[in-house]
Amino acid sequence: MTRIGVFICHCGSNIAGHVDVEAVAEYARTLPGVVFVQRNMYTCSDAGLSEIKTAIVQQGLERVVVAACTPRTHEPLFRQACREAGLNPYLFEFVNIRDQCSWVHMHEPEAATRKAQDLVRMGVAKARLLEPLEEQELPVEPSALVIGGGMIGMTAALNLANRGFPVKLVEREAQLGGLLLRLDRLYPTQEEARPLVEERVAAVLAHPRIEVFTSAALLEVKGFVGNYEVTVAAGGQSHTLKVGAIIVATGARPLQPVGLYGYDGQRVITQLELEEVLRGWRGVGAGRLGTGKLGVGKLGIGKLGIGKLGDGGTGEQTDNPPPNLPIYQSTNLPTRVVMIQCVGARTPERPYCSRICCTTAIKNALEIREISPETEVYILYRDTETQGTRYEAYYTRARQAGIQFIRYSPQRPPRVTDERVVVYDELLGANLGIPYDLVVLSTPLVAQDGAQALAQLLKVPVDEHGFFLEAHAKLRPLDFATDGVYVAGTARWPAHLEETITQAYGAAARAATVLSKEHVVSSGVVAQVNEALCRGCGRCVEVCEFGAPVLVEVAPGVTVARVNPVLCKGCGACASRCPTGAMTARHFTDRQVLAMVRAALSEEMR
Amino acid sequence: MGPEEIARRTRATLCLDCGKCTASCPVTRVDRTYSPRRTVERVLLGRPEELIHNDHLWACLTCGQCTLRCPSGVDYPAFVVAMRALARQADVEGAYAHNAVMQQLMMIMAGPLKQQRTGWLSKGLRTAKRGEDFYFVGCLPYFDVVFADLGVVSTTAARDTVRLLNAMGITPVVSDDERCCGADLLLNGDEEGFRRLAELNVQTIVASGAQRVICSCPECANALRNDYPRYVGRLPFTVVHLTELLADHLDLFAPDSLDEVVTYQDPCRLGRYLGRYDEPRALLQATGVELVEMERSRANALCCGSAGWVACGRCAKAIQTERLRQAQATGARRLITACPKCRIHLSCALHDLGGEVPLELEDITALLARALKAKGKGRVTNDEG
Amino acid sequence: MTVDFQPRIVVFACNWCSYAGADLAGVSRLQYPATTRVIRVMCSGRVTPGFILEAFRLGADGVLVTGCHPGDCHYISGNQNAVITVDRTTQLLRLLGLEPGRLRLEWVSAAEGARFAHVMSEFTEHIRKMGPTPLKPETCNLKPVTR
Repeated sequence: MTRIGVFICHCGSNIAGHVDVEAVAEYARTLPGVVFVQRNMYTCSDAGLSEIKTAIVQQGLERVVVAACTPRTHEPLFRQACREAGLNPYLFEFVNIRDQCSWVHMHEPEAATRKAQDLVRMGVAKARLLEPLEEQELPVEPSALVIGGGMIGMTAALNLANRGFPVKLVEREAQLGGLLLRLDRLYPTQEEARPLVEERVAAVLAHPRIEVFTSAALLEVKGFVGNYEVTVAAGGQSHTLKVGAIIVATGARPLQPVGLYGYDGQRVITQLELEEVLRGWRGVGAGRLGTGKLGVGKLGIGKLGIGKLGDGGTGEQTDNPPPNLPIYQSTNLPTRVVMIQCVGARTPERPYCSRICCTTAIKNALEIREISPETEVYILYRDTETQGTRYEAYYTRARQAGIQFIRYSPQRPPRVTDERVVVYDELLGANLGIPYDLVVLSTPLVAQDGAQALAQLLKVPVDEHGFFLEAHAKLRPLDFATDGVYVAGTARWPAHLEETITQAYGAAARAATVLSKEHVVSSGVVAQVNEALCRGCGRCVEVCEFGAPVLVEVAPGVTVARVNPVLCKGCGACASRCPTGAMTARHFTDRQVLAMVRAALSEEMR
Repeated sequence: MGPEEIARRTRATLCLDCGKCTASCPVTRVDRTYSPRRTVERVLLGRPEELIHNDHLWACLTCGQCTLRCPSGVDYPAFVVAMRALARQADVEGAYAHNAVMQQLMMIMAGPLKQQRTGWLSKGLRTAKRGEDFYFVGCLPYFDVVFADLGVVSTTAARDTVRLLNAMGITPVVSDDERCCGADLLLNGDEEGFRRLAELNVQTIVASGAQRVICSCPECANALRNDYPRYVGRLPFTVVHLTELLADHLDLFAPDSLDEVVTYQDPCRLGRYLGRYDEPRALLQATGVELVEMERSRANALCCGSAGWVACGRCAKAIQTERLRQAQATGARRLITACPKCRIHLSCALHDLGGEVPLELEDITALLARALKAKGKGRVTNDEG
Repeated sequence: MTVDFQPRIVVFACNWCSYAGADLAGVSRLQYPATTRVIRVMCSGRVTPGFILEAFRLGADGVLVTGCHPGDCHYISGNQNAVITVDRTTQLLRLLGLEPGRLRLEWVSAAEGARFAHVMSEFTEHIRKMGPTPLKPETCNLKPVTR
């Protein structure tokens, strides 16, 4: 019979003050298989640990049970002690007689003692059935892949490269820079966006450890954390990249409000289109936008449906080009601009708030007022999303600059006619007709083109709006459930630039935790398939969130599941769903759990 | 009972070593390492522990194909079941399917319960609390829950059975106190559990005043008729399978009621164990369906591949797949089963095959109920009770 | 149903949420009746109908399955499996004639020590009122099964 040792902790008076530890020890001695029982004052102390190790060796213990505080704090410690004494660390079982016994039944010492005895009986029953488990070590490829060459992708890439990791940066467009290239100014400082982007692009292109692929397409992603194999098509060639971690920074795109508020790209335009117009107004030149290599042609504006600006632009045409934009030369500034917030956002189809549109509207409104102090600007809003001290102050600044804020209710949205914007003012109880020269629609960021396809390549989830879904909003905000893949920026959901840049640093740090290790170690608590019992039904594959089980054809027409222990988290969902008993959740097998159930209820079931 | 006694009682001692059993065994066809002949030999040579601690002990489907052909009349299924009982005493068990929920249910039913298991009855069905005929439903209400995601409603067969019994002028007793027949506990070597269930069932049946027990499940029919007497003595009632009864009432059906091509799976228990091959066929023919036999039928029928909710894995699936392909090869679109377990096991494999095998599975009770409805009304298509 | 009927309750608790919540109740010295025996699993989704039925078979008066709140599962969707399991087992209990109220599913987060203690107390009272289970281990003294 398997030789079991039981160690019962007094924990000073934390346990001993409410549980008769001697009675528990006496009882433990009567359990079949228990050959050694010892009480410790503090089992977790050096003395206690060394007593365990000594007993393992001297008594030839094959299983160790410690009845003490809680496994959530000290299981690793006792497992390590077992390991040091030459006993497989998974042959150890922890019984919680403090946090869930002595501390919560402080006034019922008899009942608490009986409970402690029951719990020890349960722990011994499980320990008897424990099996040695192996952990797996796999080498890590210490380089990263960053998907997306916008501000966030570049920031993450630079951060990792500066730490010494080679980075492959893959960008679908012909140039780096992303959405920020299209912006005129940044809030709340009203500084120019262009220099910020240009500086970062230059740093990336100059960095010896960053390899940039532009006009690139991601074709395939294979492998697992520490060992990804990615196929990229770029420059007419196919490249196979071996990386250890992947960061998704593919951003988002503003919604084109086709069919909303009379959007025509001429007199009713989007905030992003307004950014271009603002540049024109500043007299940068009719039709000429930006300088150098970031000229219109390479901006891919066409793809975003903007079309040409002015009469000299070299903007590429799009699939659905609206007619030419307003011919607002610097001498022809508008008298009145009306901005409408929440266009296509906070609706039943798209119930979220896109966070940045209010501050963007304020930013552009302030720009208009600066360029043309005579121009009236109205912002028609539902609520104003200007959080924190900085943005509260920003809003105040906008009010002080004479920008008019008019609240509208979603039941009575504004109407845009040929001449006016009609909005029902709740306070006045009347319709206001605002004659306009330009209407600017604030639309939300929506999922990037191709996000869904990328999600499928990477086997990561997207939410109902197509944004990438992180593993846990609070506990793991930059991780995907799949190990080794991280996300940052508006690919996750709309956020301010300072937030997305923070995420970029965060994602880089997360990736670095994998890349800086020589090996990834997988826990021994994983699922395993008995192939003879497996019907290849695929329920395990369906239920696993981590892609650990896969179906493989082992003979013609015969498919069975196999679990990748590195990906398996040990939750046991697959074992619960397996209809044949082929899948075993090691360390929490059916047999082990049932043995605990029996031991919990029956004195006879020892 | 020790291994020597088991060998004697099951005539294993008369084994000629000829190998006909292994050649007939559906498991061996898929798993070449399995051999009924070698299994018996292990025990005869005085090495029962080699069998007891081997997974192969649980591989046998007890389909009886081997016994049928054995020149010495060795009862191999009985031999295996008895060895399993020995294994249990050594704390060895099979790998239970569905996280052992079926076994749990069976064991719980052996306790002092007041079940509420007759909710499957629908309007228009006539049943009674006391009477001469007791309809033994079996575990169908529990199957409905456990196999919900297979899309198989097992209690449809119960409703159709009552419908058919009513049509014969029988108002059966249907009882909340009925327990699982226990066949699968016995198959898994739990004789004590089986005995307990048998005792409780006999009690319930006797208390209802019934002289005859009618089963729609051949496993139940076989267990009650052939196994119960060994454990609880001579039964104070007769046991019949529904098809045995209905075969005397072919006039309930008209030969022009249904116009379809079907094929038929002989359940091991109804066929090889209870010897009923003609009755189901007569019934099918009486409805007008065209029955195309599979290449292996009647005494030669291939088992549905799983037994006792144990060791249901690759082997089982391969056998099921083969049987489904044999059904497909007949050209029939519908495979008729006469056993709720055949239906579940074949449905499971069919489900895993995706749309690869274009077959529908239907219980014979459903087909007969349809035919009943259609009599004199022209053709009627499948509907749920 | 006697006054000194001490219910025997088996509790399945998931490592990341409810077990942690139970520990927090201890750290906070919140008191509750000593009627429960906790079995730790990594995820509430590990619990199968077979586990629950075994508990009832061997005389548990009540069974609690506890896990993370929906949306908070450490393994993303494991607790959804727990919902299916408890639902299915409840249907089986009904057929068996055992009061479904003896089985309950409760969500307890790692931060909810007070809630854990409350659930233990409240469920104990609930079971006390229901009375002892009709299944006594003596009457179901069959050899336990499983591999």
